[in-house]
Amino acid sequence: MGNSISKVMVKMFGYREMKILMLGLDNAGKTTILYKLKLNKIKTSAPTVGFNVETVSFRNVKFNMWDVGGQDRLRPLWRHYFPATTALIFVLDSQDTARLNEAKEELYSIISDKEMEDVVLLVLANKQDLKGAMGPQQISDYLELNDHLDNQLWCVIGSNALTGQGLVEGLSWITNNTKAKDKK
Amino acid sequence: MDNSVGTVRANGKHSKTDGRMVYLSTKSPSVPNLNEAYHGRFGRRISPERPQSQLSPLSIAEDPTNASLIDLYGDDDDDDDENENENESQSAEVVQNSHKSPEIESTPAFSRSVSTGIQGSSEYLSRDHATKDLSQYDRYGFKKQNAHITQEQYHEWWEEYSRYCIRRKRKWQDLLAKSGLAISNNDVPDRFPPRSEKLKRYVRKGIPAEWRGQAWWQFARGQEKLNKNKGVYDKLLAGINARSDKVSGRDLEVIERDLHRTFPENIHFQKQPNNNEEPLMIQSLRRVLLAFSDYNPKIGYCQSMNFLAGLLLLFLDEERTFWMLVIITSRYLPGVHNINLEGVNIDQGVLMLCVKEYLPDFWQRIVTKDQSRNNEFLYRLPPVTLCTAGWFMSCFVGVVPIETTLRIWDCLFYEESHVLFKTSLFILKICDQEVTAARRMARNKNLSKDDSDIEMFQAIQTVPKKLVDPQIIFERVIFKRRNSLNDLSQDEIDRCRRYVSAQRLKFKNYADIMGDRSTANENTKRDISMGSDFVENALSSEVYGFRRSLTAAHWNNSIKERVRQIRRK
Repeated sequence: MGNSISKVMVKMFGYREMKILMLGLDNAGKTTILYKLKLNKIKTSAPTVGFNVETVSFRNVKFNMWDVGGQDRLRPLWRHYFPATTALIFVLDSQDTARLNEAKEELYSIISDKEMEDVVLLVLANKQDLKGAMGPQQISDYLELNDHLDNQLWCVIGSNALTGQGLVEGLSWITNNTKAKDKK
Repeated sequence: MDNSVGTVRANGKHSKTDGRMVYLSTKSPSVPNLNEAYHGRFGRRISPERPQSQLSPLSIAEDPTNASLIDLYGDDDDDDDENENENESQSAEVVQNSHKSPEIESTPAFSRSVSTGIQGSSEYLSRDHATKDLSQYDRYGFKKQNAHITQEQYHEWWEEYSRYCIRRKRKWQDLLAKSGLAISNNDVPDRFPPRSEKLKRYVRKGIPAEWRGQAWWQFARGQEKLNKNKGVYDKLLAGINARSDKVSGRDLEVIERDLHRTFPENIHFQKQPNNNEEPLMIQSLRRVLLAFSDYNPKIGYCQSMNFLAGLLLLFLDEERTFWMLVIITSRYLPGVHNINLEGVNIDQGVLMLCVKEYLPDFWQRIVTKDQSRNNEFLYRLPPVTLCTAGWFMSCFVGVVPIETTLRIWDCLFYEESHVLFKTSLFILKICDQEVTAARRMARNKNLSKDDSDIEMFQAIQTVPKKLVDPQIIFERVIFKRRNSLNDLSQDEIDRCRRYVSAQRLKFKNYADIMGDRSTANENTKRDISMGSDFVENALSSEVYGFRRSLTAAHWNNSIKERVRQIRRK
């Protein structure tokens, strides 16, 4: 019933909506990505205490994007607040190899949550512009998503929030792969 | 050596790993005479005869009545010429004074810097920032224009407000003269009058910007704290220095990542264009935060403390900033920054109780009927608290525009934390009004739950950022007579805190006995908590009653709810 109404809405207004949660360690570049997408501007961003929420329209999709603050000790504050998420964008700093393992643990602890069972997972290997940054393939290997995720759709894309590289790709990947889900 | 640190850091925010490595090496024994340099500086700075005036920031750059400097900041306000001229001789003196302050070249990693923010940097402004367009920055060094406030809006406000500041400062000068208190040659009073209704009113109308540091310090009883802990800060710094690279890794790393993200748009936190050295402000900030994480391991370092310390550093020297941070995190916001976050949860519970009491319409917007029925919302806080938690942790830094933040801080240090609750309630109220107005505009649109959530969160996120004029809050909340919020005293908040703390404990014990509900799914959670009337009764047996001065009676909330129901019928 609810589904058919939303289909009518899409036909009438030509867009659909989805809720996207953007997570990752502190200083990965989540807020910068959010505002690059929203305003196409680079906002010098300060650590996010709490979260930012913005709607970003892309093609016929309205994304409600939640960018949640990074420091690990603040995570218990928001842990259980995000049910009904369509997609999870996990942002990591490709140059910060020292914390890659921490990021990996964080990622797995998030997607093992029951609420996250059905989300599609996009990993943005951010800061590709920096010297010594690991490429998306390398990061994908490191995260071992192939071995651990059976039911989930996932994808690793290299990105650079400053130029916007990879961001649109990421959103269109999400759009394409959630459409398929809707049909089921 | 120090230069190399600067250059490596200069590579940008992203080069944290490199920066950290080199940073550690600066503390290795190979660095010549770290301690000597440190003590040397210390000795020069605090001469025994006049520790006070040496310590207190000159803050000339912020003086709205100071003609030469106001021009420097681009805040030239032609209408106020006659006011500014009066102060010209004085300001010339002060400028001279500031040039006399010792040149700071390379400060070793963990000695305190000689100058406080405004003082030291006013010198830079004339020297190093010459190439930057200073008219873009306000008197505190923040960018006037941002995503939420245009240059025009800023100037429109400032033209009016700068006159207000000048008027207020005259009043303060009169008050001090009447109280027989001298204003020292730096134009900063050594002492403010004792607490009184009149002084409270003055504080609520804003402390003159260049006196803020000194005033906050007195009202928060900082000197008392410092006297009891003489030398502690220096010992902490020495400890950090001595430990070299054995510093407890975690806090150090997190602090290091946040340093360059603290006020990146403030001129005092930026690198000089012709100089690759790390800004002194950032060096001070690092020392304060590291010293604090050593001083209070229960808190360590928590994001948002960088903003507290950063803003304090603009008004106070390093050691005072450190003690003010100690006072804020213990007296005003007890437990809020603790690792277990219980303090912040308690305060959010208190805020939710206040919302329920004072903003019943907004309350219905943020919780479902079920959630409102018993006190479980104190344990499982409504999502809106994700926003408001940040307001408390950073005491509104970055939440509202800078002048508004500072006015809130004026009151915070004089009247304690209930000011934060009042302000939060007011901001939520205007957000609610905004959302309601927007709804009315788009009448036929049937919003989904998600949409209305987004709408509300966006309002809560952007509305406060537009409050460039502090008078909006202060005239409509703090000064408004017959404002229901006036009943919300510090006593009430303290009582609320105790109540919420006890209630949360009860729910926690209950949850522990019933198993960890966070792993259960949403439906079973509800079943457990709502299923049995017995449990519900037991859990919410004590209902919090707010004291309302109107009736001087202790209202029982359940009676009140019944009255509401009758009215609805």
